[in-house]
Amino acid sequence: MITGMDRLVAAIKGEKSDRIPVFCNLIDQGPREMGLTPQEYYANGDYVAEAQLRMQARYGYDNVWSLFYVGKEAELLGCKKILYDKHGPPNVEEFVIKTYDDIDRLEVPTDLTQHPAFAEELKCLALLKREAGGKSPICAYISSSMTLPAMLMGMEKWMELLFFGPAEPREALLAKCHDFFVKEVKAYRDGGADVLVYSNPFGSTDTVPMKYFLEHSLPWIEKDIAAVGTAGMVYYCGMSSFNKVIDIVLARTGLGVYYLSPLDDIAEGKRIIAGRGLTCGVINDIRLIDWGRDEIRAEVKRMIEAGMPGGKFLFGTGVMPYDIPEANIRAMLEAAYEFGRYDDDK
Amino acid sequence: MLDKIIKEYNEAIYDTDRDRALMVVHQAVEQGVSPEDVVFKVVLPALDLMVKAISENMDANLAQHFMTAQIADTVTAEMIAKFKKVPAVVGTVVIGTAQGDMHSLGKRIVIGCLKARMIDVTDLGVNVTPEHFVDEAVGRKAQVIGISAMMVHTARGENGSLAVRRLLQERGLEDKIRIIVGGAPFRFDDGLYRTVQADAWASDGVTASKVVADLVKEVRQ
Repeated sequence: MITGMDRLVAAIKGEKSDRIPVFCNLIDQGPREMGLTPQEYYANGDYVAEAQLRMQARYGYDNVWSLFYVGKEAELLGCKKILYDKHGPPNVEEFVIKTYDDIDRLEVPTDLTQHPAFAEELKCLALLKREAGGKSPICAYISSSMTLPAMLMGMEKWMELLFFGPAEPREALLAKCHDFFVKEVKAYRDGGADVLVYSNPFGSTDTVPMKYFLEHSLPWIEKDIAAVGTAGMVYYCGMSSFNKVIDIVLARTGLGVYYLSPLDDIAEGKRIIAGRGLTCGVINDIRLIDWGRDEIRAEVKRMIEAGMPGGKFLFGTGVMPYDIPEANIRAMLEAAYEFGRYDDDK
Repeated sequence: MLDKIIKEYNEAIYDTDRDRALMVVHQAVEQGVSPEDVVFKVVLPALDLMVKAISENMDANLAQHFMTAQIADTVTAEMIAKFKKVPAVVGTVVIGTAQGDMHSLGKRIVIGCLKARMIDVTDLGVNVTPEHFVDEAVGRKAQVIGISAMMVHTARGENGSLAVRRLLQERGLEDKIRIIVGGAPFRFDDGLYRTVQADAWASDGVTASKVVADLVKEVRQ
């Protein structure tokens, strides 16, 4: 039987499998799947893993996630207050860095795996590895050095420090976030994660001008990737578009997987990557809440027709909003399996 | 002379160079340009130019919007202090993020731009309840409520724009107060503002300030 891992490996190599790999990121749906409140659910890594395995088994897509919520990274760095909501992802409620002096006080744990806030993630990874290891790609979410500060002090204050602030605390914070990034990648890899989504809105020209990207974002991207290597790393800009920077990122880092934005032109992205890596076409999943079956099928067909010719293509979603009806999740996935099938003529 | 100042200021804005923009403005004042002209003939037209550039799909990004707003805000505050008489307030707005949403960047951009447009704006902060939005709008005689939401569930949820609309209906305030929404989910679904029963939306903070100014005019007519 062909597994999700087989499909992913084949796609990366440019070989054919039964169909293209399909990644569906059901994260916020976990508590509902387990019939628990978000607080109960996220308190136990076994629940998170169990929900991932159940939803994957029900829908048949190829990946599973070890992600609890993005703000978990802030908890590993001292955040004590998380705002839970039944209908969406938990949020950082109180920032760790309130003044620039707090940057001095910020402590990066020596070994993340010994940190109490990481214990449940390790449980989750262990269960996923036991049940799905080698068969389904296990995904982890890692913020880049330049993005993590937004979680620690808020995007507004981080942009203020980044563009107007004094250099010393800015560089000190970036250095600490880089240190954390390297340790986090190691912890996830050691725990069994195969796919590491390197999340970096500052790697998109939707966020910063090209000049700033070249002078500031790119050097930090190079530093991050050089420190951990490219194995399993996926370039992703948090749903911001990045076709304009693919060529230079590829040349300077060697990263081989690009998880585009729904705002990117898939065919153009694929032309730029030009067989040097895997192109991931990502559906605008916010529209899945209201679209009907026919609209969903038409959109999936359009995306796959743009990305599948020539292989090295994956169909994916963003972080699927909680409100997407189950029938629409099914409609999207069935269309992806159908249109992404490798017939002899594809 | 004013043309040269406008050109240099606009270039600094597009290069997101705050120091150069401030230098241009300070030199202009030293050369005899009135603070009123700096705001109304340099800063405001620069904002409108950026709105136009965004609408024409020219390269504009979040950092540029943020810098534009901050520069406009800083220059306006500095110049107003030097105005011969206190400028007339064009309108009043209250703004905050929807309940459950802690993302504050978008509203900060809008606030910076609104101040340059001589609109009195009150920042209600983050995680604002619908009741607080409406109570503050009534208390301050605001023409517009701005609701920022960065997440799908806070944009679409029962405690965001939908609840504010319900309260406006219940209190008979719909002809006096307009609702504008903004944030990432609205960029990915340009019809979403209607789903959440807002009067308008904008794809970015700089454009939002123009849309808000238009809504203020609409209510005041």
